[in-house]
Amino acid sequence: MASQEEENVTEAQEHVPGDNCDRDEGEPVTATRKRPEAKPPSDLASAEQQVPEDVEEKASDPSAKSPTGWGYLGSWGKSLMSTASATMATVGQGISTAIEKAETSLGIPSPSELSLDRKSESNTGDPVTETSDAAKENESSSPISGAFGVFSSITTAVQSTGKSVLSGGLDALEFIGKKTMDVIAEGDPGFRKTKGLMNRNSTLSQILREAKEREEQQIYDKVSVDTEKKAHYSLFFDDFQGLSHLEALELLSRESEAKVKCIVSALSGEELESLKPELEQLKEAFSLVEFEEEEDEEREGTEDFAQELAGLFAEVHVSTKPEKVARVRKAAYEWMAGLSCESQQEDKQGESTTVQSDHRTSVEDIHSLAIRSLAELTAYSIEMFHKTAALVLHGQKQDATALERGKALSQITILLCKELSSLSKQITTHLTAAGVKEKSDVLNPLITAVFLEASNSASYLQDAFQLLLPVLQLSYVQTHTELAEQ
Amino acid sequence: MAYAYLFKYIIIGDTGVGKSCLLLQFTDKRFQPVHDLTIGVEFGARMITIDGKQIKLQIWDTAGQESFRSITRSYYRGAAGALLVYDITRRDTFNHLTTWLEDARQHSNSNMVIMLIGNKSDLESRREVKKEEGEAFAREHGLIFMETSAKTASNVEEAFINTAKEIYEKIQEGVFDINNEANGIKIGPQHAATNASLSGNQGGHTSGGCC
Repeated sequence: MASQEEENVTEAQEHVPGDNCDRDEGEPVTATRKRPEAKPPSDLASAEQQVPEDVEEKASDPSAKSPTGWGYLGSWGKSLMSTASATMATVGQGISTAIEKAETSLGIPSPSELSLDRKSESNTGDPVTETSDAAKENESSSPISGAFGVFSSITTAVQSTGKSVLSGGLDALEFIGKKTMDVIAEGDPGFRKTKGLMNRNSTLSQILREAKEREEQQIYDKVSVDTEKKAHYSLFFDDFQGLSHLEALELLSRESEAKVKCIVSALSGEELESLKPELEQLKEAFSLVEFEEEEDEEREGTEDFAQELAGLFAEVHVSTKPEKVARVRKAAYEWMAGLSCESQQEDKQGESTTVQSDHRTSVEDIHSLAIRSLAELTAYSIEMFHKTAALVLHGQKQDATALERGKALSQITILLCKELSSLSKQITTHLTAAGVKEKSDVLNPLITAVFLEASNSASYLQDAFQLLLPVLQLSYVQTHTELAEQ
Repeated sequence: MAYAYLFKYIIIGDTGVGKSCLLLQFTDKRFQPVHDLTIGVEFGARMITIDGKQIKLQIWDTAGQESFRSITRSYYRGAAGALLVYDITRRDTFNHLTTWLEDARQHSNSNMVIMLIGNKSDLESRREVKKEEGEAFAREHGLIFMETSAKTASNVEEAFINTAKEIYEKIQEGVFDINNEANGIKIGPQHAATNASLSGNQGGHTSGGCC
């Protein structure tokens, strides 16, 4: 089964023209890697060529906030957020027949009925063409969004599908909704496309592991000095045990999901009713994550972030602290502060910087730090989520309800995603400053890579956050049924 | 960097027997007398060489506390090797071995190689469990056995490496299906590269192939 999946993936890759060609031409594929399972967009190259104007713009006036400048990260970051949450719908698939029984007893419309509705809708309008048109419009207005055109078209397809499904009464379906999604997908081309892309049978850690292997393979294939210099996100991520913690979190999540199903199926209709409101709220706390990127106060202060994170985490009431995350972020900012000093000193020395420039941190170094910091921050955040899951399941302290925890964790996710985005912006500002003398075809892929990995990091985090839902559901259902027994 | 195989290990056993210390000694070559209680699971990784092949060990160091037991069971899945650790100075940790063993066998695959470890062999004066008892238990349950000291590093390398050797032999004998990840074994990029001609899946990376 699993090997079959792999074959499909490889086949799919082979069908993409330009994928292998790029690699053979020595393009920095690893540097501009998108979210691993995504096919490389064919318009990436053209988009990159357009980028230089922006960089110069930015370089001449770093404080300018033009909508097409690097500040644009915000909106595509957000669309990736929705992708992330869409992915999650496929993470825990399958449903026990027991729940199906519960479903019918509740008098909810059957998934097949809903899917019929959906089919007729998808016949009248073609979401995929519509959205790809929309993507083209974006492309012309912004070179950056052009690069992510493929992504946004997919996400819009998901969003539109998702919305009609949700309004179609998903809230009535409880967590049976997942099944509905699956059935609907059968009749919806846009949705299926997304699902194919997300490879519904593989977990996030598998996807990341495969990405890491690909990078390892590349290093092994050509053990040149050139590739060794390049920073590989997924290798860093693994070094900081991000993959392991993610895998462990997935194990806990899956187990919790199964246990919840088991408990719920044993409940009477009445008992289930009494559980519903809070389960519903809990799910809502996880469905959000639409954050206001536009406001975007520059967050220079290390203290602010650390305090905010600690404050939010305290609301989760588990006996662990988010120290590692705060420490990594602090280290990254300290490193960047060092860069600023460096460039100031150079300014004072004026033109005679020929000798100096040898000592100056290279763009590759900054890029490497950026990738490393993003990977480290993400890995430790996921570790934090994993530890939280373990402690919630451990059930040592129940000082907070599942709902309170869910809300706090969702705030933490938002905070971390914002942080990833602002960190990547800051680093690219340094990259741009350090790379004034570099050719744009050297600098631009590095900058693009930082933004890509930042958005990837944010979606990994979002996905990891979603894995906590079954854990909190289990914790809630257990406390509730225990109370009922007493 | 590149490896031929990746093995997933779990370390299990009562709290305080030195699981985390064994891991730290193996991965970092140092000893930390005071260790925080492990929450859920911690991780370590190290590369070793067997039969000229690089093998990456990915080690899951589980919490020993009884209250974590239901959680740690979730982590057993997909382990190729297990280090079952007891403390030679605490008889109760030895008495609990049967429970641990049942647990491990129940929640992981049947081919998992289990190494029984009597840790703290440096504390000879406080010994409560004879070496012969450990050997007998291992023989009875088909385990490999070793006494180690995470403090002095005695036998620590051997414990991890011998387990890997046993897994490696099982692979050679065809006992493990290496294509099934549930067995806790993964083929690494190094191996895949040398076998590129055998498995068509890896084809995309050969240079100059497509254009």
